[in-house]
Amino acid sequence: MRQIALIAINFVREQRWPILVLMLWVVLLAMLGLVLDLHRSREDVLFIFKQLGVYGVAFAVFFGASAIHNERKTRRIMAVISKGVSRAQYISGLLIGIGIAVTIFAVSMGVTGSWVLSAGGARASDVWSLIACLMLACVLSAAVAVLFSTVLNPLFATLATAITLGVPAVAALHFGSRWARAIPAYSLLDQLLQFSFRGGISIPWSLVVLALLESFVLWLTASWIFSRRDVAVAVE
Amino acid sequence: MPFVLEFENISKEYRRLVGGWVIALNGFSLQVEPGEIFGFLGPNGAGKTTAIHLAMGFMRATSGGGRMLGKPFGHAPTRRRVGFLAENVALYPRKAEHLVRFYGGLNGMSGVVLKARACEMLDLVGLSQEARRNVGGFSRGMVQRVGLAQALVNDPELLILDEPTSALDPLARVQIRELLLRSRNAGKTVFLSSHLLSEVEQICDRVAVLNKGRLVAMGKTSELLHSADRSDIVARGIPDNAFPDSVLENGLLRFAVPASSQREALERVWLLGGEVVSVNPQHRSLEQIFLQLTTGDSRSTGRTVA
Repeated sequence: MRQIALIAINFVREQRWPILVLMLWVVLLAMLGLVLDLHRSREDVLFIFKQLGVYGVAFAVFFGASAIHNERKTRRIMAVISKGVSRAQYISGLLIGIGIAVTIFAVSMGVTGSWVLSAGGARASDVWSLIACLMLACVLSAAVAVLFSTVLNPLFATLATAITLGVPAVAALHFGSRWARAIPAYSLLDQLLQFSFRGGISIPWSLVVLALLESFVLWLTASWIFSRRDVAVAVE
Repeated sequence: MPFVLEFENISKEYRRLVGGWVIALNGFSLQVEPGEIFGFLGPNGAGKTTAIHLAMGFMRATSGGGRMLGKPFGHAPTRRRVGFLAENVALYPRKAEHLVRFYGGLNGMSGVVLKARACEMLDLVGLSQEARRNVGGFSRGMVQRVGLAQALVNDPELLILDEPTSALDPLARVQIRELLLRSRNAGKTVFLSSHLLSEVEQICDRVAVLNKGRLVAMGKTSELLHSADRSDIVARGIPDNAFPDSVLENGLLRFAVPASSQREALERVWLLGGEVVSVNPQHRSLEQIFLQLTTGDSRSTGRTVA
């Protein structure tokens, strides 16, 4: 467990600049809270809040799709897995690292959002429910991206992830919402995207359980594939 | 006696995007015994790094296998007992001390023991003054020293080093050589891949030469350096043109003859009224042997010294 924690913390440390860039949007949201009449401009603020949620998922995919490739490209992975670290532990460390990065972002978004959206009339508990759905959507999206990154380069892993997450969403639009449950990242994100000041939110527990289960299965699959992959090629 | 490192008929093939398949290792077998410094030689592209990466579990063999400290290659818990330094080691940009502790932590070390060990290792590689500096600002030689410190932090039973002194200055090379000898004296096993043949010649108990994915020679360094094929003869009291390619030094005539002609040469010295001062198997440098084995000399291919 210690090894997983070390790899996760190391991942967050290595990704500190993208995380900080992401945080700038949260700062923007806070600035709006300071300068705007929140009750009159609440729809604009809500739009930015939703936009932040989409960025969160996009960054989670970006982190997941590029993590292994970056470590291999810089050859830093070799010093790590030359230690008593299994491939499954390595993948776990990356996923938890992405989870920590997403949590940092989501919590700061939740703190700022519960302030500015509450001032606009939303309940703080609803904001935190949305944040929970967002975090889960990010983790599931990252798990899909990490799975593809074990066999594809970042560009193709990102494309494959976008297709995997997008197809159920498109299918849901044409054939009914149950199709979105196949991989419920979109359904969870949609809780945030469909949120309005007029209606509240109830956490879709079945989606939560499904997302957790799928993330676990994706982690197992990614670990299995990664343990069969060559992580280094001869430099000679 | 169980081997510390054992390759068993292992092969590795890569597929290139352009150019088809490349055979990096072809039925390679090798055994490393406990408590020895084993030199692993070969020209660029011979497959040395591939062999090391297979042992470390970075890659999977196309066929064959091997064992490290009694466990199959790729067994993660076994790697806790191994220290590894990659060629052109790449490390995270952070303080040297923190970095060594990070790698020690990955091997299950923690707390005061890890902290003390990290400081000790940085001191050992001559970086105690730089422990608080960021590795990102280090020279290549200094990074290599940190790499060595992280390889040693877990007090490994087996040390696998891929070109450990390639970026070091002569003084640091001497220090590392001494460190490796101390490790051997402490009962550790060192598997050393290096292009610095003089270094290998000085410290390795046994060496293996790899060429084009195949083992072309293996044996005790002393046996390889002393050729059984030719003899060096020193004589005096004979004309200096009595033997071809002879050299006269301080009244002594030195010349080399094939071992099969040694008896005739000695009889000729005596026949000419001379005196034989010494007869020894010809001493060759490792560089000469290496060049002979790796420059396409078909006679050397497949030769293995037991």
